[in-house]
Amino acid sequence: MKMKKIVAAALAMAMALSLAACGGQSGGQSGSGGGAGGASSSTPPAQSGSPTPSGASEITLWTYPIGDWGKEAEVKALTDAFTADTGIAVKVEYLDYTAGDDRVNTAITAEGTPDLIMEGPERLVANWGANGHLVDLSDLFDDEDIAQINEVNEGVMKACTHTSGAIYEYPLVMTAHCMAINKTAFEQADALQYLDLENHTWTTENFIKAVEAVYGEFGGTVGAVFCAGQGGDQGTRALVNNLYGGTFTNAEHTQYLWNDPNNVKALELLAGMDGIEFDPSLDGGKEITAFYQGILKMAFCWNIAQQLNPNSADTGAEKTISGEDIVFMSFPSETGKSQLCGGIWGFGIFDNGDQARIDASKQFIQWMCDSEHTADAVKTARYFAVRNTAGGADISKVWADDPIMGEYTKLMPYLGDYYQVTTGWAAARTEWWNMLQEVGTGSDIATVLAAHEAAANAAAG
Amino acid sequence: MSRALQRREDVAGYLFMLPSLIFFVGFVIIPMFICIFTSLTSSNMNDTAMFGSFVGLENFAKLFHDEVFQKGLINTFIIVLVSVPTVCAFSLWVASAIYKLNNVALSAFRCIFYLPVVTGSVAVTVVWRWMYDNYTGILNTLLSSVGLIEKNINWLGDPKTALGCIIVILFTTSVGQPIVLYVSALGNVDTTLIEAAEVDGATDMQVFWQVKWPQMMPTTLYILVITTINSFQCFALIQLLTQGGPNHATDTVMYYIYYTAFKLTEQAGHFGYANAMGVVLAIFIGLMSAVQFRLAKEK
Repeated sequence: MKMKKIVAAALAMAMALSLAACGGQSGGQSGSGGGAGGASSSTPPAQSGSPTPSGASEITLWTYPIGDWGKEAEVKALTDAFTADTGIAVKVEYLDYTAGDDRVNTAITAEGTPDLIMEGPERLVANWGANGHLVDLSDLFDDEDIAQINEVNEGVMKACTHTSGAIYEYPLVMTAHCMAINKTAFEQADALQYLDLENHTWTTENFIKAVEAVYGEFGGTVGAVFCAGQGGDQGTRALVNNLYGGTFTNAEHTQYLWNDPNNVKALELLAGMDGIEFDPSLDGGKEITAFYQGILKMAFCWNIAQQLNPNSADTGAEKTISGEDIVFMSFPSETGKSQLCGGIWGFGIFDNGDQARIDASKQFIQWMCDSEHTADAVKTARYFAVRNTAGGADISKVWADDPIMGEYTKLMPYLGDYYQVTTGWAAARTEWWNMLQEVGTGSDIATVLAAHEAAANAAAG
Repeated sequence: MSRALQRREDVAGYLFMLPSLIFFVGFVIIPMFICIFTSLTSSNMNDTAMFGSFVGLENFAKLFHDEVFQKGLINTFIIVLVSVPTVCAFSLWVASAIYKLNNVALSAFRCIFYLPVVTGSVAVTVVWRWMYDNYTGILNTLLSSVGLIEKNINWLGDPKTALGCIIVILFTTSVGQPIVLYVSALGNVDTTLIEAAEVDGATDMQVFWQVKWPQMMPTTLYILVITTINSFQCFALIQLLTQGGPNHATDTVMYYIYYTAFKLTEQAGHFGYANAMGVVLAIFIGLMSAVQFRLAKEK
């Protein structure tokens, strides 16, 4: 009997201890992010002889799959070099766009955020920064930094800066999102005549003719207005907004204005076109896969990273799975000169209340974004640098030896307004793809647009 | 047994229960109360305070005007009302057909039907997604090859078919456990009663409904309650396959709770609102379970 009690008491104690262990982190460790399950880490020990860090010896970074910043081997090479230089180890966790936001939001709720996060202004500035979770990075910029970035594109710093003046993202790379066509299929359908392949542009009129020609040749679905979720939704927004010059937000980024007659016209056109399907079973990623497999003849979710490595399948640049040629294109518009949605990626720092870790994180940002190592960080991202000089080093020619990147720069002048920082963005983009789903079921387009715009604006407050 | 001895036995018993009790209290009871309390607040992710401000029944009142929630509630009930009877009937039918087989065959059937239960829902979902695929799915290929359809059906993208597709998957992943339980229950039916009924001239159907069925009632009740709860809480399939679409055709209350809590993080009071939905869902589950218990008891 006594033994039974001892065993039971011991079991109870073990359970209680394990429960206690599940509890909150102590103040000193809060925000390490180490509690996140499934972390894929690269934490090399500081090499002997490396400088001793004055503060934190380890920081955590969560990164979305921004080019090869989503690949452990490539990121490890960078973080190992950083550790060797500074003695600060970097523990990296790789997020994806399907569940990444949930991970971060859960971490914010549980006070287990990482020190650093790599993403774009729509999350860093408009969401986590605006809600007070990130550190203001203004002190990392001097006038020269800002001038260098503005020299390349004036919209970048604007997108990284909150309306309060705080800078929540230190930008590293940018690109213009575009669409792509299966050149081989277009050739077979005699539709290449409708494309300006030299400048990668086309007009709305020629887009209609091209789709007709390809549909006439192959039948089925030429292009899918995917709307299963938010993944890749910049493609459908750019398609609809550009066809007849519709708007998405106002210039001040305070209100959603997609209930625009030009957008109604564009959606009516798309809904009535043979070969164009509104497909609620596809999101951007799956659309890319279908395009890569040759099922679809055009993809509305595309950018340079896809052009270099379609479907991330490592089967060769600019080729489908069966070796057909892929050409990236600007979205069609009446004039042929479109406004492309941009992507600006960089780092933000979560305010975990530990100044040593914040300082170490800032050191990491400067090492990656404003030093002689920036070229490597940019190449890993497989996008374009937001500046031409970093840490005194010329990085303007970082892609000089890459003809595909060189060709893609033709689209960069079409980079449009970075409206993704409008308040209520998460809810608004949900309204967008839900709106597309309703349009696809045959609902009245003007009514549906108005209803979802109103809901988006309600969320924006 | 003396009172002292009885007390010592009781204490030992409670101590043995304590480990699981700690977990039960820590991970079920306390969160349940937190959920109820939070549903009365404007709690959200960006509040520095844990619970936000007290708003009374405002979140519950808001639910009555939320069309997406109502659509989700209807879909949830459709899933429950279709899934629960079919799962029970099918598993009873399969169990009746296989429980008399020899051990090897019985084990093989148990394995086959239990496989979808132990297979990860993500893996199951991926396979079904391939089958349902609008462009290359085996279903469309099969149906078009035999001339039943001219144009591919967008199974998960068409509001008319999407919820049905979800129910089919839920069905396949839900029947395993009931079959195993029914096989076991049928094996435990008192054979002397069956023999007596047969001697009295009862038909097979009469034997089943008058002798076997009443003895299986506790198992049936358990299966009904568990399947009902699982159906009410259908989430992973929705999250992985349709995200509530198309046009909210597959939204369920569970998915909408998740969506509100973790996607609408910029919306004021989103945690409170999501918790209010959770409370409403729990009430419905409780009511359905109570009805099932009541009916089973009457039976």
